[in-house]
Amino acid sequence: MFVKLENINFKYANNEDLILNDLSFELPKGCMLAILGPNGSGKSTIAKLIMGLLKPTSGHIYIGDEELTEKSVNHLRKKLSIIFQNPDNQFVGVTVKDDIAFGLENLKVERSKMQEAVNQYAQMVDMSEYLDANPENLSGGQKQRVAIAGALAMQTDLIIFDEATSMLDPKGTKEIIEMIKTLKNSHQKTIITITHNLEEALFADKVMVLNQGKIVLEGTPREVLKEKTILEASGLKLIDGLFLIDRINNSALEESQKKVLTDKLWELTFKM
Amino acid sequence: MNDNIVFGQYIYKNSFIHKLDPRIKLFVLLILMIGTFLVPADNFILLSIALMIPLIAVIFSKISIFKYLKSLKQIVFVIFLSFIFQLFGNEGGKVYNIPINFSYANLILAVLLIVIFFLFRKYLPFKMLIFIGLVVLIIYLLRFPLIGDPFKETSIHIYEKGLIHGTFLIERILIIILASTTLTLTTKPTDLTNALEWYLAPLEKIKIKTSIFAMMISIALRFIPTLFNETNKILKAQASRGVDFNEGKFIEQIKQIVSLLVPMFVISIKRAEDLADAMEARCYVPGEKRTKLVKMKCKVTDYLVMLFILTLFILLILIRCGVIYAL
Repeated sequence: MFVKLENINFKYANNEDLILNDLSFELPKGCMLAILGPNGSGKSTIAKLIMGLLKPTSGHIYIGDEELTEKSVNHLRKKLSIIFQNPDNQFVGVTVKDDIAFGLENLKVERSKMQEAVNQYAQMVDMSEYLDANPENLSGGQKQRVAIAGALAMQTDLIIFDEATSMLDPKGTKEIIEMIKTLKNSHQKTIITITHNLEEALFADKVMVLNQGKIVLEGTPREVLKEKTILEASGLKLIDGLFLIDRINNSALEESQKKVLTDKLWELTFKM
Repeated sequence: MNDNIVFGQYIYKNSFIHKLDPRIKLFVLLILMIGTFLVPADNFILLSIALMIPLIAVIFSKISIFKYLKSLKQIVFVIFLSFIFQLFGNEGGKVYNIPINFSYANLILAVLLIVIFFLFRKYLPFKMLIFIGLVVLIIYLLRFPLIGDPFKETSIHIYEKGLIHGTFLIERILIIILASTTLTLTTKPTDLTNALEWYLAPLEKIKIKTSIFAMMISIALRFIPTLFNETNKILKAQASRGVDFNEGKFIEQIKQIVSLLVPMFVISIKRAEDLADAMEARCYVPGEKRTKLVKMKCKVTDYLVMLFILTLFILLILIRCGVIYAL
């Protein structure tokens, strides 16, 4: 297992309520996990715990074979990267190339290798024309692509997308979703995507639904999507295809016809 | 981006000034600032030579002159006030008498002009310049009683020394503002902080973490435009709810500014928290050694510029010490 969370409880110092309640899960290397849930369900807290930005109240986190502790956090962070929700608040550099290089500078990478990596990953996220651009002149989607290039340049094994599309317009959202798909399929990265948008979870290997700090549902995307009642109870907006499948199943059509139609709809849903 | 704010803006141009090493540019600025204050009082020839340096840099930077004028716009009032203090605070030399004749018609005209200015100031460009011009015009108009006899006659005495001191001060401020604006417009904030870090490097030997200081400056410079944009958004949001930052009594204006400051602080703190998380997540450890993407390297032109400035500075010190009496 690459990421393993064991009986994690978490609460903030000034609050008695548990944000995460006895949470455990595992994620093998090269797999993609989508964590779904409404606001305040503890999704982003999981991301910050894995990154070592927050410390669990109790429980253990393992990255690879090593436990994440105060001593190991700086060393283990070299295997992890995260793309946050707000593209502005994570843009450290004054230009695109400075921002891509920020992580590499911290990892003490040699200058020549750094320059090579900056060019390579800027090209990969289609930002090589903007290397000297100021963040103020970039769109939200472009800033998120720069953040992805920075994460890729650090060559981490795990990339976490913490609601990385929630502040973007539809074009920016599409760009980032395509980027995640490419990373999963061509780069074999271990990915955790945190979202409240069901469509972003369709191409994950495993989906986990959180509500009030507890896992209420987990399985493959298809298994999870079938649990309409739990998804609705967790405050998630269902995708259009599910309503159609529901209407077909409740219609007066013959069972064989229903099967053909629903199978076709499931296929189309996952092709989106 | 708020175009009125020039400080902290870097404008990319392929110019000689842009290509200069940031350490040299910082050095020139420092020498120019010290030199400006070392110029003997009222020696306009030496001060004009000092003014030539930022003016040449402005021309060679290939950046529109309007950008530089905008940086001056912010401090026109301060310059004007300093000039007035110098003008009336120094006595000596030739005296110029400006007669002031208070007649009712003149006073009504002066009040009318001021009222018209305040009514239309919203629509006026260069408000401060127009206001200063208006004050000068009113003083000029008070020389001639328009209708009837004046009920009080007096005069303003302006001394030659005050005029010279005032002009000298304006020229000094102009040199400093032009030089520092040229530095920020032609140097990337990261290059500037790298240069600063380089100068402060000896302090590392006495266990002072200068890299943290440099990172703080770099982030502050990086977020200046972002925070100005944020301020603009809040201003518009508050204006849409009826807050007018330009109208009302002084106390009301203070209250209205609070409605801008509170959300600004909340947003800035949230931003700082998020940024700290993002930096930590990207393996930033305060005070740890880091490599740099850009290597600072002085070229022949850099050394020539440094040599030129140093020569001028040494000459200035020699003049100041009385070794050279040429100028």
